[in-house]
Amino acid sequence: MKTEILHRKLERYINGEALPAETRQIQTWLSCTTSEQQLTAAEKMQLEQDILREIQADTAYPLFYPKKEKPWWQKITAMF
Amino acid sequence: MSRTFTSDQELIDRLLSNDTEAFEELYRRYWYSLYTYSLKKLHSSNDARQIVKSIFIELWEKRHQWPANFSVSQHLYTSVRRSVVECLNEKLENDDYTELVEKQITEGFSAEALQDARKPVQQRQSAPTASELIRQHTISHEEPKNHALNMASMKWLLQMVAAKLD
Repeated sequence: MKTEILHRKLERYINGEALPAETRQIQTWLSCTTSEQQLTAAEKMQLEQDILREIQADTAYPLFYPKKEKPWWQKITAMF
Repeated sequence: MSRTFTSDQELIDRLLSNDTEAFEELYRRYWYSLYTYSLKKLHSSNDARQIVKSIFIELWEKRHQWPANFSVSQHLYTSVRRSVVECLNEKLENDDYTELVEKQITEGFSAEALQDARKPVQQRQSAPTASELIRQHTISHEEPKNHALNMASMKWLLQMVAAKLD
């Protein structure tokens, strides 16, 4: 499919004006998960932290709602 | 991370009282599924990262607006699909990306690719089975304690992706 045609279809889909066949086509594409791309455990952990830090910077929630220090007995019970 | 499993609904209830730990637990539970899904669709780690970020920022900022029977997994699933479509549309508006999109994404809209997508996962010769997908994504020697949690999020993603929309 040419990109211009795809662009027009996506525009209509976003605006809720897509034809039923176009909607089916886009939804089928959205539902198809064949190719696999994986991260290593280290990359995954790093990316998880990076995105979370960006979210924290954007929302500033650690500033407004700082974490409370857990009592010592809760820290110990969490280990078991 | 706590070893006791907390339901999504409980975490959402705690989120209403501005519990940041509940928010981070939800983030850890779902970010990777959303990220890999966006990455598969857009072939851009930067776009996938931005989508995950914006979805969770919205989840935090609108935490007091969610209805009583709010399903976080359903919301995240709907959000990621909408964000992927919007991101692809934005890329197509930019001439710099048109060639890239043509090479990597538009072939996914071909009749053969879409017919293949309609087949059950087990019948696709080139694709791994659902159980293989779950195993590949979840079993990690470095993170054995996250195994059950990852299993739950991957099962959720597979169920959601396979489900039909209303």
